Amino acid sequence: MKLELTNIKKTFGEKVALDIDNYVVNYGEVIGLVGNNGAGKTTMFRVILDLIKPDNGEVSIDGINPAQSEEWKQFTGAYVDSGFLIDYLTPEEYFSFIAKITNLSKEELDERLKSFEGFMNGEVLGQNTLIRNLSMGNKQKVGIIAAMLTRPKLLILDEPFNFLDPTSQLAMKNLIESYNKETGATVIVSSHNLVHTIDICTRVTLLEHGRVIKDYDKESHKDIIHEIEDYFVGNVK
Amino acid sequence: MGNVKSTPFNLDKPLNSYSRYVRLWKTFRLIDKCKGISERRHPMFERNRAMKWMGYLFTAFWLCYLMFFGVVMGNIEAPVEIFDTINGWLPIILALDFSTRLMLTDTPAQEVKQFKLMPLSTSFLINVFLIRRATSFMNIVWLFFFVPFGLMCVVNYYGFIGLFTWCLSMWIIMVANAYWYLLWRTLLNRNMMYLILPVSIYAIVIYFGLFDDDFTQSFFGNEHVQPVYWGFLWYGRWVMEGNVQAYLIPISIIALLYIVNYNIQIRSVYREIADVQEGKVKSREMVFLNRFGIIGEYIKLDIKSIMRNGTIRKSFITGVVCTVMLTSLSAFTPIYDGNLFMKAYISMYCFCCLAVIQLTSLMCPEGNYIDGLMARKESVLSLLKAKFYFNLAMMIIPFCIFLLSVIVGKSSFIESIGCLLFTAGVVLPFLMQMAVYNKSTVPLNAKLTRVRNNSSMQVYISIIALFLPMGVMYVLMVLIPTWAPWIMAGLGIIGIALEPLWMRNIYNRFMARRYANMDGFRNSREFLS
Repeated sequence: MKLELTNIKKTFGEKVALDIDNYVVNYGEVIGLVGNNGAGKTTMFRVILDLIKPDNGEVSIDGINPAQSEEWKQFTGAYVDSGFLIDYLTPEEYFSFIAKITNLSKEELDERLKSFEGFMNGEVLGQNTLIRNLSMGNKQKVGIIAAMLTRPKLLILDEPFNFLDPTSQLAMKNLIESYNKETGATVIVSSHNLVHTIDICTRVTLLEHGRVIKDYDKESHKDIIHEIEDYFVGNVK
Repeated sequence: MGNVKSTPFNLDKPLNSYSRYVRLWKTFRLIDKCKGISERRHPMFERNRAMKWMGYLFTAFWLCYLMFFGVVMGNIEAPVEIFDTINGWLPIILALDFSTRLMLTDTPAQEVKQFKLMPLSTSFLINVFLIRRATSFMNIVWLFFFVPFGLMCVVNYYGFIGLFTWCLSMWIIMVANAYWYLLWRTLLNRNMMYLILPVSIYAIVIYFGLFDDDFTQSFFGNEHVQPVYWGFLWYGRWVMEGNVQAYLIPISIIALLYIVNYNIQIRSVYREIADVQEGKVKSREMVFLNRFGIIGEYIKLDIKSIMRNGTIRKSFITGVVCTVMLTSLSAFTPIYDGNLFMKAYISMYCFCCLAVIQLTSLMCPEGNYIDGLMARKESVLSLLKAKFYFNLAMMIIPFCIFLLSVIVGKSSFIESIGCLLFTAGVVLPFLMQMAVYNKSTVPLNAKLTRVRNNSSMQVYISIIALFLPMGVMYVLMVLIPTWAPWIMAGLGIIGIALEPLWMRNIYNRFMARRYANMDGFRNSREFLS
């Protein structure tokens, strides 16, 4: 799955939220988006997912412009925030709902949920609790699992390590790595956790004020963590 | 949890009582100013300047209308003095005033939340918000009617002092009405059954106290006496004559309502602030809906939304209660007998009521998870179809009750079929247009009083949805009474048959406006959270 952003510009009033000339994500890459608050990470995801309209430019997901066709939704999974969750359902009901509208059989659903058992850590299923009554961390898990349930070729996760306890953060890392290896899917995550992001990603993109200011390939940059840390330290006044 | 008694202010040094009262007054003014700003800067208005100006225009129009009405009424020649009639019929004005207050939002117990962590006592805050109710602009709105009306007729008999004392008394009565409304709103937050309290009180007072001669004669012997009417009439005269003792009656009522309100609000504060967790949930499979595939899944979602979300459940129950009441009125009372217009009115309302209540805020609850819906292909289309079929199925409720009218011979069977199909095939598609225009998220579990997001388009479409079918039915019944139900049924069948076309059209228009709508849903959701 190849993703391409061309001449994308998005402003909110005077503020430039996103200004990208050309940005390409290739098949099977695991991309980490890092940057301070307001750098444009979530805006970039929203533009890719056709949740907001860019002022200029266009997005292409495997040749499909998301603003013009809905076909990309068949092979894309995403979790950005709780606006993706139908929170008056229980996690089981929610997963079952996702399975039914994406034509997954009950057996397939059960089998796929089994692969997330470690990640759920016994706190999500079988609680007879509505999603809205789960802790933030468990809500996050429900959203991430729902995004991955259909085995999408493009997986987009906004700050997946947020709200997760250390054990779940490690499980999350393993999940993303193994998912990418098993399916060859393209994965894009954003995070403020530099260590986790650099560990799992094949490429790390640094955003500032909506622009891509650095794009590190893990193969050619062996010391990404220090380079990125230097950038953030330099920002501290 | 008991009430925490905190010092009203952080004071560096003790103040004498005068300084203390000055500071209390200044704090009151500060909170009052804060609330005033928050009302003027409400996000719904901030984002929709046109709506804000329309609101001002509508208020100005309404006040001018009241003044005009006051002047016209004041000049009416009648066997009895017209101000006596207005005084006697004051309960009707109070009922109207009560209904205009329905748009008012938070109760003091809810307003306290923002100030709860400040060094101000809860008791002081509740008092501030209760006093603000008395000084609200809403309480002087009716003076735009009473003052010109009084200038036309009261002044001639009682002079300007009589006019002043009378208008002052009307303001005091409106303040009492405001406290009564507030009390009811707070109780309604606890239990929806309180919905029937003001309806029954005003209905009983107005019907038996003002109109029903048989009741009043049996109650007061053979004399032609209407107790409520005469009570208010004499009270009005008493006030106009300048008897200050007369003020004691409404002031005592205000004092009583203030005390009751204060106690109830204080008890409600923790209830409003607490984030009450729901218990364990029992999952119901609803297997019978599986045969409808993806649409069935969305119908299940709709049913669960009604069952599990307070706001949605309350509006659904309100719709069902209104439907049952209207249909029962039509079946069991003579109120609408022999009047073709009223027959059209009640018949159509029975069928439209629930759908209007449910569908005018179409997509607003879904605003809470709109991003998730938009991430799946055509899920909004399936959702809209599910909503249509669900509301279609729900029409079995008014239809069954309406059959009672058929059994008692007030309507024909074909008339009920005509209304049913017309609502299903014409009114529902019309209401479904709201999916294109609604872009304000409804909080799924906020108190009924806190839902304040009706856009002007919502108001227009619900008014048209309620009055257009009634107009069509009335015109048809006047022009071609025999064929009217058949034509209505025919129009309805055509509408139902064309469902794939108009539904796709709605979906395409929704998708064309999706960015603006999603932005609206997201912004209002962030505001609500």
